[in-house]
Amino acid sequence: MSLFSSSSPSLKNKKKRMDPVSKRILRIDRMMNRVIQIGGLSVILTVWGIFLFILWQVFPLFQKAKVSSSTSIHVGVDDFTVIGTDEWAELPFFLNLKGSFFFVDLKKGGKSFHLESDWPDVQPTITTLRYRQDAQKVIFGTQDGQWIDVEVLYKPNFNKNGEREIQVKLNPDKHFIKLGERNAPIVSIDAQDYETRKMVAGIQKTDEGHKLHALLLRRKVSLLGQSQLKVDQSYDLSNSIEGHPEKVLINASADAITVLTREGAVHYVVFQNGVFTLQQTFYPFGENPETPVASMDFLLGDASLCFTDTTGQNLIYSLYHLPESGKLEYGLTKTFPPLKGGGSIIFSASQRNKAFLIGNKEEVSLRFSTTESIRWNKPLEYMPRSAVISGKYEHIFIADTAGNLHSIELNDPHPEAGLKAFFGKIWYEGQPEPQYSWQSTGATDTFEPKLSLVPLIFGSIKGTLYALIFAVPVAIMAAIYTSQFLKPRLRRIVKPSMEIMASLPSVVLGFLAALWLAPIIEDQIPSILLMIILIPLVAVIMGRLWIFLPQRARSWVSSGNEFIIFLPAILIVGYLCLQGGGLLEQLLFTVQDPETGAVIADFRQWWPQFTGTPFEQRNSLVVGFMMGFAVIPIIFTISEDSLSQVPASLVSGSLALGASRWQTAARIVVPSALPGIFSAFMIGLGRAVGETMILVMATGNTPIMDLNIFSGMRTLSANIAVELPEAPHHGTLYRTLFLGAMVLFLITFFVNTLAELMRHRLRKKYQGLA
Amino acid sequence: MNRFPKSDHPSRAKPRPPAGEVFVWLTSLGLALGILMSIGLIVLIFWKGFSFFWPRNVVELTVRAPANPGTLGSENVWGGVVVKKQAKRSDIALKLEIVRQEWQLFVGNKDTYGHMYRYTDVDAITSVERPKGVAVAERAEYGKAIFYPISITMENGVVIPAEAPDFIKEWRLLVKKSNDRRDKIYTIEKRKIGKVNAALESLRLKQRRLLKKTSDGLTHNQKLSEIEKKMAVLQAEYEVFASQAQQLRAKQKEVQLTYKLLSGEVLTQPMGEILYFYFPNQMNFWHKLHYFVTHFWLFLSEDPREANTEGGVFPAFFGTFVMTLLLSIAVTPFGVIAAVYLREYAKEGLIVQSVRIAVNNLAGVPSIVFGVFGLGFFVYGVGGTIDDLFFADRLPTPTFGTGGILWASLTLALMTLPVVIVASEEALAAVPRGVREASLACGASQWQTVQRILLPAAAPGILTGLILAMARGAGEVAPLMLVGVVKLAPSLPVDGFFPFIHLERKFMHLGFHIYDLGFQSTDSEAAKPMVFATTLLLIVLVIILNLGAILIRNHLRKKYMTSIF
Repeated sequence: MSLFSSSSPSLKNKKKRMDPVSKRILRIDRMMNRVIQIGGLSVILTVWGIFLFILWQVFPLFQKAKVSSSTSIHVGVDDFTVIGTDEWAELPFFLNLKGSFFFVDLKKGGKSFHLESDWPDVQPTITTLRYRQDAQKVIFGTQDGQWIDVEVLYKPNFNKNGEREIQVKLNPDKHFIKLGERNAPIVSIDAQDYETRKMVAGIQKTDEGHKLHALLLRRKVSLLGQSQLKVDQSYDLSNSIEGHPEKVLINASADAITVLTREGAVHYVVFQNGVFTLQQTFYPFGENPETPVASMDFLLGDASLCFTDTTGQNLIYSLYHLPESGKLEYGLTKTFPPLKGGGSIIFSASQRNKAFLIGNKEEVSLRFSTTESIRWNKPLEYMPRSAVISGKYEHIFIADTAGNLHSIELNDPHPEAGLKAFFGKIWYEGQPEPQYSWQSTGATDTFEPKLSLVPLIFGSIKGTLYALIFAVPVAIMAAIYTSQFLKPRLRRIVKPSMEIMASLPSVVLGFLAALWLAPIIEDQIPSILLMIILIPLVAVIMGRLWIFLPQRARSWVSSGNEFIIFLPAILIVGYLCLQGGGLLEQLLFTVQDPETGAVIADFRQWWPQFTGTPFEQRNSLVVGFMMGFAVIPIIFTISEDSLSQVPASLVSGSLALGASRWQTAARIVVPSALPGIFSAFMIGLGRAVGETMILVMATGNTPIMDLNIFSGMRTLSANIAVELPEAPHHGTLYRTLFLGAMVLFLITFFVNTLAELMRHRLRKKYQGLA
Repeated sequence: MNRFPKSDHPSRAKPRPPAGEVFVWLTSLGLALGILMSIGLIVLIFWKGFSFFWPRNVVELTVRAPANPGTLGSENVWGGVVVKKQAKRSDIALKLEIVRQEWQLFVGNKDTYGHMYRYTDVDAITSVERPKGVAVAERAEYGKAIFYPISITMENGVVIPAEAPDFIKEWRLLVKKSNDRRDKIYTIEKRKIGKVNAALESLRLKQRRLLKKTSDGLTHNQKLSEIEKKMAVLQAEYEVFASQAQQLRAKQKEVQLTYKLLSGEVLTQPMGEILYFYFPNQMNFWHKLHYFVTHFWLFLSEDPREANTEGGVFPAFFGTFVMTLLLSIAVTPFGVIAAVYLREYAKEGLIVQSVRIAVNNLAGVPSIVFGVFGLGFFVYGVGGTIDDLFFADRLPTPTFGTGGILWASLTLALMTLPVVIVASEEALAAVPRGVREASLACGASQWQTVQRILLPAAAPGILTGLILAMARGAGEVAPLMLVGVVKLAPSLPVDGFFPFIHLERKFMHLGFHIYDLGFQSTDSEAAKPMVFATTLLLIVLVIILNLGAILIRNHLRKKYMTSIF
């Protein structure tokens, strides 16, 4: 305060002539000016900061795969057939037909060493082999018609400094086992363990052509913990399929064999109840193709087959239950752009997701099956022979014919993402048709995440729609009545009490909706229907009758107090409806009991039977009503404000010309305040779209897409609240939920800006009139 | 505008009613519905919430054996508190011709019966009595017990039968004693052992830090051994406290209460398990009122028990309070500065216009989006960085890099910022122009005008905005689920251990408490009364804040009505 007395009058220091003002005051003034300006501007920047931050978090979802580095090592093994790798991509190997593994230790600068498969008998003549990366096993087929499994045991050890060292050991089976015919060389083989069962299938070259054989084995574990394989049954399947089989694959649950023939046909043979039956034969590239099938391989989960033909066409066939017959068969689900330079020579499926790598000399291409997108592609300067994607989907190894190992570091954290994944219709594995679907997590590792935001946006729209259908008429009618007809004395009470309704926490509304209202409404639907019809009808009838009452009786309730007689009237009608609901139910909503044939009146059973859509306890009706508590006061307050703002001169003029109070309200006041009412509607909509807790608690949260009023939904906001606490930081799901938040932000931003512009227009309009 | 035009056509003798009256009635329906909904909901919550605390009479029923024996119903006599009388649900579901009536009773004694509620057909009841001797006791475990007391066995083996004249007096004394002992155990376990644990934890951190560094000779080892010595001392202290608590616990079990349930089972219970007891059928209105008030207080001041379904809500209440306080501390300066900037400093124009739109937009952004931002920016961004810089030795256990009360408050502060900005701006705008000009004319600088004239004049308006912000913040749950609220926090965000205010701690919140109790608890039927009570508390809190804001606003309007010049 002493400062103040010492200062003498001065204006701002703009002027040249300076009065003797204490320097300190000027300094403080300048400083505070700056603080306020910076503070003010920074607060405002925050608004944009929020949006930018969310955008920044979402951005990586839309990036393609990146290759951060690529190195080549000359290993010098040129007689290999396949390469394989461990999960950490530190110790890849080359494998040749002698059964020799050449390991390349990338941690030690590519030093290589080699391990021989420790064959139980004499060195066999191997004719074919198959590397199964998921089980880290190699199945060898021999010249004399036998096969054997060799397990590649990688074991991570941590040394004293906490660094990881990978040790490797080869663990071959105890004996060779005969596949089908002795002394017939095996040309293609696959084996799969499932629980205690093991299935082996192979193609043998005999004098009578190619033969298809299958073996069923059982693993027995002795008391000492040693397991032993015993052949259960042997099958000759050559007669059940037509053509010359060339390649065979067994699925993950070891109950089906997929065979590719030279004629370009694929036979899907299912093993059930001890019998193999041919379920389906199909031609992936059409019957009698001019261009034969070049490759056929499983994607992760063994539910989809990836084909290429010699012109480079690339198709995915997936298993799904046919809608008509219910049979599980393969169908074309995805078509990729063709691979340059013809059919694929190399193939590797990611062990993390539905990505796969195909390629030849012209081009190598990393593709993602779910979204039908090419994550990365590149022409090669060498002829590839084999490739493998590491278990963590972080490395790709490609080996060329000269025995060079090309190591490519892959950076593709969100392959499942993309515009198509979020907003497009996708044909997911196991589904009979393309669909919009949200299911972010599944029980198994091979689960295909379904990340479509469409059902969630649909859910948000559905919730908002039902909330507004109920809230808008009530709120706007209440606003018109309050601003035009209600006595000012009452208005001062009514407005704040409606505002208090706005402040009810949504968690309270949600709790009441789900645990109190939903069970009550559930068996009173006919009564509710009656109320919806009868209560407005009673209002109309009362209004009609009122006019015919004698003047004296009418003066008993002064104008502007009508709503007070309404309060008991609504209660009485509501009570009558509750009582009469059962009657209505018996008249209209009856179904026949399928067991006894008796007629029962039950709306809950009638609805699904009549409309074919389900009836759930936590449904849109409950949500719409409870959201009303959140939305009505907002729409009410804002539209009441704009209705009251209509200049009094307009109202007086209208009344003076002899218009009734309703005519004035309907033809003068409401049209002038329409932009304001619209703005109120928009803001109410914004609130309804973003409402979270009511929807989390009262909808059941199933992401379905129908407009049925008696089923639930899952909204964008509820989805975030339910899934984000569990989502791993910076994972695909985490960022997808951020994308959901961004969509919400954009919707409300759009709606609010529109509302603001409307209000602005209204204000301008009255500037001339006031 | 409420004038009722007497007639449309003055020429007619009989006045014809004005046009459109029907529609007026229709619009009045909207208001009536709105008011009914608003009042109905609040009355419902108050009724359900308060009835949780009101002691109700216990009835003893004699029931004919029901059709399906083997369940609890095969006994003839049982009883409890009648909770609900309704048309029989299963009859309605089966669409029977004659729907029977049924009662839902709270039977308590969960340890014996396995459930708390039970239904009975009214037809099956042959007699209803209200025995005077029935006692209801709240226990530390298994909730309430309803029984006839038989006797108390003292620690020296003396048995006091229920018929003894001073039985109730003695019982009351014993319960008080055991309650005191329980308090003592609580003090030892929470305060004293807590202190030792805190000291141990900080020593352990020091030790880890030292171990990480490479040894630099003697002093290093000396330090380490010193720490070990200190730890040993603390460990010994801990043992002492633990054994003290153990002894007290053993004492709690010495006195036994023997009682008979209404259905006839005779049981004994250690006195230490009983928190309080009462004889509902002997209570008159004033007794009940007393019970009501004391139990409402207990509800406010006690910790929850049995997975939040029993006991009080003090931690949730306190958490809500601290969070709201932190929120208001954070939101006020920024909100006011932004408002002052917009109203007093910035020049009207396109920028200010767009800024206003931005602020209004911020007000309309859904709360969950703020939660998402809070999680990404505050928790993982800022919190993660703080952890890397200052709490690296605790990693990978995050300190600030996980949800906590600070992040929750800041998130909600951001959410409520527009409320404060808009209210402050309005308040500043309401200060008459003349006041501003007078101040400047007297030679005050701009800041002096703002500081001494405008802000004091606008203070009530700013306060209104702040209170509204607090009300909105206190009731919001969705963003909190992402940034640090938990169903059961082991310790309060403010306590007696250095540094007293623990901003990194997770906390409990009334709103989340409602969500958790209603939706995550195993026995949601049993938790329902508790949820209503919590709801009541939250609603009262929010309504008081809102009413306060409305009152201040109305008061303000009057003040400025007269001061325009």
